[in-house]
Amino acid sequence: MEELYKREDDLTVKRISLVSVVLLIVMTMSVVGFTAEPIKFGAVNPLGDITGFQTTRAMELAIKEINEAGGLLGRPVELIVVDDEMRPEIGAAAIDRLATVDHVDFFVGGMGSGVHLAQVPTLKKYEKITVWMGGASHQIELAVGPDADWYFHLHPWDYQQGASYGQGWTDIAQAHPEISASRIFLAHEEGAFGTDSYKAYVTLAEAAAEGEGPYGQILNEFAGASFTSALLGGGDYRAMLRQAMTYDPDLFIWAGYDADAVPMVAQVMELGFEPPLYVGAPPGWPADFGKNPLSNGVILYGMWAPALKEVSPVSEHFWNEYIKMHGHEPATYFAPLGYTNIMFIAEAIKAAGTLEKDALIEAMRTIEYESPIGAVLKIAPSNIISNQGFTSQKILQYINGEQHVIWPFDYATSEIKYPFGR
Amino acid sequence: MLAAGSKRQFIYIAALVVVAIVIGIWEPHALVYGVQRGSLYAVIALPLALILGILGVLNLAHGEFLTVGLYASYILFNNFGTDPLRATIPVTLILAAIGIAVYLLTVKHVLKAGHLSQLLITFGISLVLSELIKSIYTTQPRSVFTTYSYSSTTVAGVRFGTYEFLYLLVAVAVLVSLQLFLKKTRLGQATFAVGQNPRGAAIVGINVSFVYLFVFGLSIAIVGLASAIMVPRVAIFPGAGTPYTMKSFALSAMAGLGNLNGILLAGLTLGIFEAVVNAIPGGSGWSDVVFFGVLIVVIMTRAIREGRR
Repeated sequence: MEELYKREDDLTVKRISLVSVVLLIVMTMSVVGFTAEPIKFGAVNPLGDITGFQTTRAMELAIKEINEAGGLLGRPVELIVVDDEMRPEIGAAAIDRLATVDHVDFFVGGMGSGVHLAQVPTLKKYEKITVWMGGASHQIELAVGPDADWYFHLHPWDYQQGASYGQGWTDIAQAHPEISASRIFLAHEEGAFGTDSYKAYVTLAEAAAEGEGPYGQILNEFAGASFTSALLGGGDYRAMLRQAMTYDPDLFIWAGYDADAVPMVAQVMELGFEPPLYVGAPPGWPADFGKNPLSNGVILYGMWAPALKEVSPVSEHFWNEYIKMHGHEPATYFAPLGYTNIMFIAEAIKAAGTLEKDALIEAMRTIEYESPIGAVLKIAPSNIISNQGFTSQKILQYINGEQHVIWPFDYATSEIKYPFGR
Repeated sequence: MLAAGSKRQFIYIAALVVVAIVIGIWEPHALVYGVQRGSLYAVIALPLALILGILGVLNLAHGEFLTVGLYASYILFNNFGTDPLRATIPVTLILAAIGIAVYLLTVKHVLKAGHLSQLLITFGISLVLSELIKSIYTTQPRSVFTTYSYSSTTVAGVRFGTYEFLYLLVAVAVLVSLQLFLKKTRLGQATFAVGQNPRGAAIVGINVSFVYLFVFGLSIAIVGLASAIMVPRVAIFPGAGTPYTMKSFALSAMAGLGNLNGILLAGLTLGIFEAVVNAIPGGSGWSDVVFFGVLIVVIMTRAIREGRR
């Protein structure tokens, strides 16, 4: 009898233990949120730079919105960001890490051309679908080649940017007969960026002399001079500006860095130099440049302006949600471009209904995405690669402290302020 | 060429004046810009020369202290609305305090450790300062704008900016003050003695440690003063001060150790040469080549002359 009770006791203990273990497993599963494996976006951004910082914040917003809407294909999405520190070797190593350690599904992000050039060989090793938002140098598409159907590039190439500016000034000159851009002076920083810009303009001017190219209808004369950028120990532009004053251009344009923006325009004021059109073409602008009274009338090239929220509901949504999530305003076009980077892939996944590579590539080539940048993203071939996104920039102008779009006219938020003078 | 011998210095100054007159007739703007910029180089170089001459330490963080001063001025302007010229005194004091703190925590402990350790530690300080600034402010430039800093005037048909003549005034004022301090005050004479012979100074009862601390703090304070007066004219970013380390060292080398007057002359010389090169179309890419080329010529000339003695 005692043995019987002992056997029954043993059985009860075992049953209780089994039920307890099952309950424990179920509770653990619910606590750790046991769900499907997330879809991973691996971004390589320069976090120490405003562009990379805001790109990342914008991507986080996109990820949050996607997850709040239920994820993609029943799975949550996850963003993994690695800082490239604007160094090519670190950018390249980041790709390896994202592929082999984090096992991401997509490579995204980017800013600098130099870093991305170093990443291309590593990207080719993995051939994961890459939707790269940064890098304007055409050297990148030369490195990628025409056969990389897995590679998508969003930022306009340098030659596309140049062509869009010419088209823009042609359209503006046609719409405003009082505005002339027939005599252009380019001040360029003496490094690779500025020198390349100068060479590109020389080529455009030579074509224009034959009546060809994007400036063929408007440009008659061109000259340029170099300066040492403040970023590289310079910052005194007065000698160069005096050469520009002597040349007396219709359009004065400088190609340097963000550190040159304020000292340049201030020294223009000091010298009493008043070109009718004053254009700055750095890769970025200083913080609060618009608040500086000298910014009024300064024209710049970019892909987006905050004022777009007044004419584009998508831009307005992005602007409001970005500020709500992060507590500061987007200050660079890399913010809406970063958001576009993630959302474009998300739309393609929804359209394809699968993560299968060929189907996704086909979907990406087919869909059209209304971007908060202020343009519709539609993939088409560029000179070399098959999958190019945006092909032009916009002409913007600081007017009373705010950046406005003055061209293309479809997205214009203000008439051009002309002439530039005080 | 710039040695402290008064006859040689007089000849040099006379030659510089003649060259300046010729340049002024050929391209008056180059003369004006050269004097302005050269004065700025001199006022920034004087503190580095002081540390090098008295402590025997080449401060590779010199430019980064200048950057810290720029950001201090920016913070006072942006957060408290303090005009940059009014911020001169608080920024000078803030930098003095930072300089003293850095000295006590780091430099003091390597004074007897040899030049390599001193270079490494000041290089480390420069990295820490610049990375700290970058982590707080990112690399995006800031600016402090005042209308008076871009005012101009026209003299004999030549229009030029007036603010940067402040650099010349400050350079002369700092130089004269330092000379008076070194010659006319007890602490200054003690400093001079320590610079000449620290062991001998200690033997006669001079507190060498205190002199080193004082000189380092004073030098960084002068860097703060320079940053406050230049802040309305420059872009403020983590690397803004870095190029001035090499230029300051170049001026110190050109002037010769201990020759503070020579720093001003060297600064004016190099500033004028730089402006002349920039005034030539296509010349801006050559200004650094000319800057350091002149430096090499001066140093070699002095070395050859000293070798002949």
